[in-house]
Amino acid sequence: MKHTLRQVFRSGKFVVGFSIFVAIMLIVIIYPLVVRYPPLEIIGQGTFFPPGIYVNVYDSIGSSTLYTLKLDDASAKRIASKLKEEDRLAIKEWLVGSGLLESEIDTTDTQKLLEQWVNHYDPKKKSPGMTNAQRNYYIRLDASLDGILSTEGAIIAAKNPDTGALEEKGIIKQSDYVNVSQAANVRVLPLGTDNFGRDVLTELVKATGVSLLIGFVAGTIATLIGLSLGLLSGYVGGLMDDGIMFITNLFTVIPSIVLLILISFSIGQEHRGAVTIAVVIGFTSWVWTTRAVRAQVISLRNRDHVNLSKLSGHSIFHIILADILPYIASYVVMALILQISVAILAEAGLSILGLGPRTTEVPTLGLMLNWAFIYQAQILGKWWAYIPVITIIALISFSLNLMNTGLDQVFNPALRE
Amino acid sequence: MKGYVRYFGGKMGWFLITLLAAFILNFTLPRLMPGDPVAAIISRVAQGMSDATGVQAIYEQYTELFGTNLPMHEQFFLYMRNVARGDFGFSFSQYPRTVADVIASSLWWTVILQLPAILVGWLIGNFLGALAAYRKKGFDKVLMPASIFASGLPAFGMAVYLLVVFAVTLEWLPTSGGYGFDMIPNLSWEFIWSVIVHYQLPFWSIVLVLIGGQAIGMRSMAIYELNADYVKYARFMGIKDRKILRYVFRNAVLPQVTGLALAIGTLVGGALVAEIIFSYPGLGTTILTAVLGKDYPLISATALIITLMVLIATFIIEILYGFIDPRIKAAQIED
Amino acid sequence: MSNVILEVTDLTTKYITRFREDVYAVDHVSLQVEEGKSLGIAGESGCGKSTLALSLMGYYFPPLHYTCGEIIIDGRNISGMDPDDVRKSILGTEISYIPQSAMNALNPTQKIIHFIEDVIQAHDPYQTKKEIYDLARGCFETLGLPAEVLQKYPVELSGGMKQRTVIAVSVILFPQVLIADEPSSALDVTTQKMVIKMLKNLMEEGFIKSMIFITHELPLLYNVTDDIMVMYAGQIVEKASAKEAVFDPLHPYSKGLMGSIIVPESGLRDVKLTAIAGVPPNLKDPPVGCRFAGRCKYVRAECLVTSVPLYDAGPGRAYRCILPEEILREAHKHDR
Repeated sequence: MKHTLRQVFRSGKFVVGFSIFVAIMLIVIIYPLVVRYPPLEIIGQGTFFPPGIYVNVYDSIGSSTLYTLKLDDASAKRIASKLKEEDRLAIKEWLVGSGLLESEIDTTDTQKLLEQWVNHYDPKKKSPGMTNAQRNYYIRLDASLDGILSTEGAIIAAKNPDTGALEEKGIIKQSDYVNVSQAANVRVLPLGTDNFGRDVLTELVKATGVSLLIGFVAGTIATLIGLSLGLLSGYVGGLMDDGIMFITNLFTVIPSIVLLILISFSIGQEHRGAVTIAVVIGFTSWVWTTRAVRAQVISLRNRDHVNLSKLSGHSIFHIILADILPYIASYVVMALILQISVAILAEAGLSILGLGPRTTEVPTLGLMLNWAFIYQAQILGKWWAYIPVITIIALISFSLNLMNTGLDQVFNPALRE
Repeated sequence: MKGYVRYFGGKMGWFLITLLAAFILNFTLPRLMPGDPVAAIISRVAQGMSDATGVQAIYEQYTELFGTNLPMHEQFFLYMRNVARGDFGFSFSQYPRTVADVIASSLWWTVILQLPAILVGWLIGNFLGALAAYRKKGFDKVLMPASIFASGLPAFGMAVYLLVVFAVTLEWLPTSGGYGFDMIPNLSWEFIWSVIVHYQLPFWSIVLVLIGGQAIGMRSMAIYELNADYVKYARFMGIKDRKILRYVFRNAVLPQVTGLALAIGTLVGGALVAEIIFSYPGLGTTILTAVLGKDYPLISATALIITLMVLIATFIIEILYGFIDPRIKAAQIED
Repeated sequence: MSNVILEVTDLTTKYITRFREDVYAVDHVSLQVEEGKSLGIAGESGCGKSTLALSLMGYYFPPLHYTCGEIIIDGRNISGMDPDDVRKSILGTEISYIPQSAMNALNPTQKIIHFIEDVIQAHDPYQTKKEIYDLARGCFETLGLPAEVLQKYPVELSGGMKQRTVIAVSVILFPQVLIADEPSSALDVTTQKMVIKMLKNLMEEGFIKSMIFITHELPLLYNVTDDIMVMYAGQIVEKASAKEAVFDPLHPYSKGLMGSIIVPESGLRDVKLTAIAGVPPNLKDPPVGCRFAGRCKYVRAECLVTSVPLYDAGPGRAYRCILPEEILREAHKHDR
């Protein structure tokens, strides 16, 4: 046994897969201890906030300490963020239409470009072939450019409680900076928010934990069922074998996803907890394990040591436990890993359809995808709502598969490179 | 040919039994709930429906359909009769369309997507796997990790990655639908081209994942066969490698065919989810909208249709296997 | 002295393991087989006899590599020959091999006759299917196999039948030398007898000119071969005629082999049954002195230090031990 373990851990593939998987599990366990936000807390008022560091503007303005930094490119950056490339090209187009030569127009020289614009723009001018929409666009552009080059600060005013008039309270200069760590309210959202306004990262970690749990439970159930059925079918043979194989074939052909859909829907949303789903998945995905175990048992049952036990009068259960199980242990381990992987994917698939665990209490990986797709995150380009989830699913599946391939090579030397 | 009769007969008998079992499952599962199933269904659904006459009509039709006042076996015959007529009742969420109508329009899209995708993926995957087993050195080292990655990814995972890379970022291909939004299905060249363009991403999602899985399997089988005793013996008798390889791959492919028959159920399931990602107008999206709309009849009928499709596919594959494995014919003739 | 068909001198071949170590499974082996005669090679599992068989064919593929030595078949030196040439002109035609557990040596999805077609056409592409069929049929019938076997798949044949089929196919090109690697080990006793009878028949019918029979059952060779060679840990430890090897073994290992098997032959019935304690040495690191020293009852200090050569003990007789013949014979007698 120790020797096998040593060999297993020498297999490169297994170690890599194992490490990834363990890393994910560690994150799932440690993250909630460090970051104590409740995963399903809705913090974003609005949908799909992009990832980033969210600094409370009110706090920054009212901050006691404002630092003055003189950065050379500050104003250029400011202007650049207000005047995008498309706008510059539009301005250039207009200028060319006004008679300027292309060689005189440099879209990168903001100052000169704006000068030329101010000199040549005429809101009443109608270029041939220009639609109303385009004209309005230029009008808006012109308005937004107003004051873009000014270096004045922003005025903060508050209403005088007595007169109701606005009184100037302070000025925020263009060179004022706030130290983020001193701001009262900062929230880092590395993965933004989802459609409900929840912190995707925290939600993701929790969902991974739940999905892994479902995977373990379902996988274990499936392996146990598969193991028992395979052992009985393979060892006892005869009618029991025929019967079990009949049922197995039935379950093979009827797609498990169909079964899951039917059962899940029939159970109804009130009863669909994470564990219930796990059990359902476990009870519908044992087919492969049964077949594999049965094949192994059949090849084992006529071996000498088994016959010896039979002659010695040991009961069937004793023979199965003592003589057959140890030899199929390696298969069972591989089957378990496979079943866990299958179960996690099954849960994801089921949840994407909306037939997974209840939506209010726990997030699961598939559920996060379900929300993302219903709210069309992929079309809107809100990648953070689904890409990280899929990546985690892929990583889990990948690491488990890698572990299995590694184990396969350890137990089956012909496959070694 | 006579030898085949017994083999086919067996497979056909099996097919029919499984078919019956599928019907029974489809029939009994929802009825396992206590109480009046129709009322339960209606009550869950009625919240979403504002058309009172519609609800009433459905309730009446369903009571008649289910025959909940009749004994169980009579209900079953009623059910079977309706299925045989193609009458699956009305769809709750798309009333007054019938379920059969909804399914008919999406079934075709699913078939033209999944059938070629599975075939192409299987063929390419096995070919690459065989190549990797034979060439061993450079190609194998590249193929293995890529395959492990591709096969570990569920079909919808691959779908999303492709979507993000090709549709959202590069904008080479459209993000959703089976054809352009502004088009009405017709046989014009424009329409067909639009369909082809929209077809690419869902198609390749399924194919790539399948290639990964098949390549790994075939590689293992081919390695196993290449190391088999008969290969060594053939070599010792002076037979050239090229000839030996033909047999090796022929022998290695046989279990792969069986494997395909066993895996079709799962493949179709994964492909359905991929369809959803692309809002492809096939059965996948149908199920999704059905679930969202708590449209029980639609869900039930779609599940049945999917099962039927998989059953038929499995049956066809097993028949094909009988043709390509020479031992089957021989074993039968012996009797 | 009749024609020497196969002459092997100082053949050494090695396996290269995954960790790039050399394992010399065949260490400077020399032997001779004359036309019309058969040679038996006996030894326990792992002594190198199967490797020797493979090495004799002249066809090496990883992890087996040729190191040195000469193999001359009917005057042709095939050692160091180009592998493609070997496959075309040697394998199957000059020297043929029946693998261990020949049951698995047949392609499960190919009819026997198609396999035979492949074999013959690999050497002579111009034979027609009809010619091949007639040849195969004649060959099979001569050897006592029914012609229907040709149209069957391996799965339809019994174990014994498969073994005999493989033997028949191996000699269909009339090779000079046939190497049979444990041809009867995986069979029941009745089939064993049939197989051995068939093998002996081959020479009489003129299919082959000489045979090498490899087994771990030394007494079996008495009924089959003319001469016997005993191998241990990659080296030959005794060469003798069949009778001498079985009834008058010199090397302690040969004696041990004889003593560890129940033999109902007359003259051997009352020999005590003994097992040889210990295991063969690891060939990655062969010991400096005699390789059998660790298990030998008569071991002396000198045995562990110097490597032992083969000593002549008469025409066609040799053994690898530093003790002289008389002492060995005395010692063996005491053991009875």
